[in-house]
Amino acid sequence: MSANNPSAAAPTGPAADSTRGAVLANLLFNLALAALFTALFIDAGELPSSMWEPLGAGAFPRLVLGALILFNLALALQAAMALGHATSGGGTLAWLYQRRLACATLAAFALYALAMPWLGFPLASLSFLLAVQWLLGARRGRRLLVAAIVAVAFGLGLHLLFGQVFQIPLPAGRLW
Amino acid sequence: MPMTDALLSSVEQLFSLATLISMLIGVVAGVIAAAIPGFTVTMAIVLTLPVTFSMPPLQGVATMLAVYVGGCSGGLISAALLGIPGTPSSVATTFDAYPMARGGEPGRALGLGIWASFFGALISALVLIVAAPPLALIAVKLGPWEYFSLILFAITVVASLVGRSILKGLMMSLLGLFVATVGPDPMMGVPRFTFDLDLLAAGLPFLVVLIGIFAVSQLAGEVENPEELRQGQALIQGRLTVRPLVVMREVLSRPLNLLRSSLVGVVIGAVPGAGGSIANLIAYDQAKRASKTPERFGTGIADGVVASESGNSATAGGGLIPMIALGIPGSAVDAVLMAALMVQGISVGPRLIMDNPDLVYGMFLAMFLAAGMVLVFCLLSLRWFLRITEIPKSIIVPVVLVCCAVGALALNNRVTDLYLLIGVGLFGYLLAKLDYPLAPLVLGVILGPIAETNLRRALMADESWTLFFTRPISLALLVLAALSVAFSVRRVLRDRRRTATR
Repeated sequence: MSANNPSAAAPTGPAADSTRGAVLANLLFNLALAALFTALFIDAGELPSSMWEPLGAGAFPRLVLGALILFNLALALQAAMALGHATSGGGTLAWLYQRRLACATLAAFALYALAMPWLGFPLASLSFLLAVQWLLGARRGRRLLVAAIVAVAFGLGLHLLFGQVFQIPLPAGRLW
Repeated sequence: MPMTDALLSSVEQLFSLATLISMLIGVVAGVIAAAIPGFTVTMAIVLTLPVTFSMPPLQGVATMLAVYVGGCSGGLISAALLGIPGTPSSVATTFDAYPMARGGEPGRALGLGIWASFFGALISALVLIVAAPPLALIAVKLGPWEYFSLILFAITVVASLVGRSILKGLMMSLLGLFVATVGPDPMMGVPRFTFDLDLLAAGLPFLVVLIGIFAVSQLAGEVENPEELRQGQALIQGRLTVRPLVVMREVLSRPLNLLRSSLVGVVIGAVPGAGGSIANLIAYDQAKRASKTPERFGTGIADGVVASESGNSATAGGGLIPMIALGIPGSAVDAVLMAALMVQGISVGPRLIMDNPDLVYGMFLAMFLAAGMVLVFCLLSLRWFLRITEIPKSIIVPVVLVCCAVGALALNNRVTDLYLLIGVGLFGYLLAKLDYPLAPLVLGVILGPIAETNLRRALMADESWTLFFTRPISLALLVLAALSVAFSVRRVLRDRRRTATR
């Protein structure tokens, strides 16, 4: 694995992401989408046609899905052809490790959404805000204090603002 | 409704205390959001949308316009003071405003930018008022054939302008069109691709898709680099002072540059998909070409600041021209504005000016009002600007993510929308990492139902497909669509040949 060997060979233009991993990711992505759209294309065939118009409910989606299948196959072909002269880059794990903070933030956001129906908006938001600020560098001292103030202000503040001023209640929590 | 009545009614609605206050808050929020690197104007507008649900239509749209106009100016702050563009729209501003600020005149750099933004917004609002109504008069006469071809043209232009690969751009537009078909079909109400899920019964909630694509996925991209997280080192020391009238005279002493840059902004804003991020660079480039002293550009001269800032601010009015006249948004931001009107039950299209004249006049007036508010707010709060740019990303990112969650919940108050938000956010992040442009997707979602309705209407009126090619306006639009694809393919091939020979 050569994570510390970035795309030094190709710093400009479209070649910037021609590492093997990136090309392979594109290839798999387009193939997966092509398969998905094919399934949906077949599914759309069961939509009822209409007696008042030549195009039924299914025609436009099938037109779009058909084009999507073609475009994804074309993109997959493009990626497959680029695979031959792709430069070697880091592996998937190195790629993920480089973006560990982004992944951790997204994971925390997912946890936040899962916990919200149980904890309620104010408490879930407060914990999420504290956790992610800590994660992103507010570890001690004054920055941690600021993080705590921000967490309380936005966790409770948004709840009150939407509940009281805009009359849009946010989840209160099932646990209490 | 006669014109004067509509005008009076819009003035009455706009100059109510509630609207003025919410616009003022919008202006402040827009300026601050755009000043913070990593927090874009589009994000700010998407997150403003849920707040406007409980407002009357004009107040809601006026507030969003205030955020938009404020955001067009705000990017200037970090561009001038940090040398980092706060939004992609202020890239060219860094070329001259930053050297000027480093050279000991940060107040002058900001003042020039603020006034140039103001005049840019003003000029674009004037063009909007002159251009939109006659265009709408022509547009109502278009049949479904022309309309469908127009949308095809808009989609190919977007796909060819954004991103590096037209295939990827077109794929994203099509994906947007497909996403829009989920839920009841626009003519008969037949449910499509809902798989008996409650979540999808009314279609994929557009707002959730927007927030996921433009906010969640972008925010994740902001925290990739641990070294970048501690931002906000103030590079400019000393006090910020500005003499407003002196700087105003300095801006007005360049009428040609101001007018040319603003018109560049208007035209580019009106082209679907191309917004402030392109306009500021082209306006700067044009000013440099027309200048007698092009070699001084980039050293901190007033002409550069004026060109970039009036150019990017003028896109606000430009983007509204196709939205108000044709119902086709000029940019992702206009797509969000259009969604705001649709949530309020107002159908956007060429009949908008005829059916809701008070709303449209109100929007025109709101543009002027917002430009004035931005000017006053920026000039008064100049000295605090440095503090805004010092807020670290470790605070911005989680706070805005919580705002995203609120935005997704505010629409239907169902937690399933939150799960969808995360799914869309992850998918958007993946798309961004694989180098797919996101703007065509959003335009596709907005234009999907309009395209389908017009296609089906056209074939209901006459079953023959050849009418798309035999009606002159429709044919012209299709030829333009084909040309825009051809040009983009040619550009890609030329670039590839150039890199190959190198």
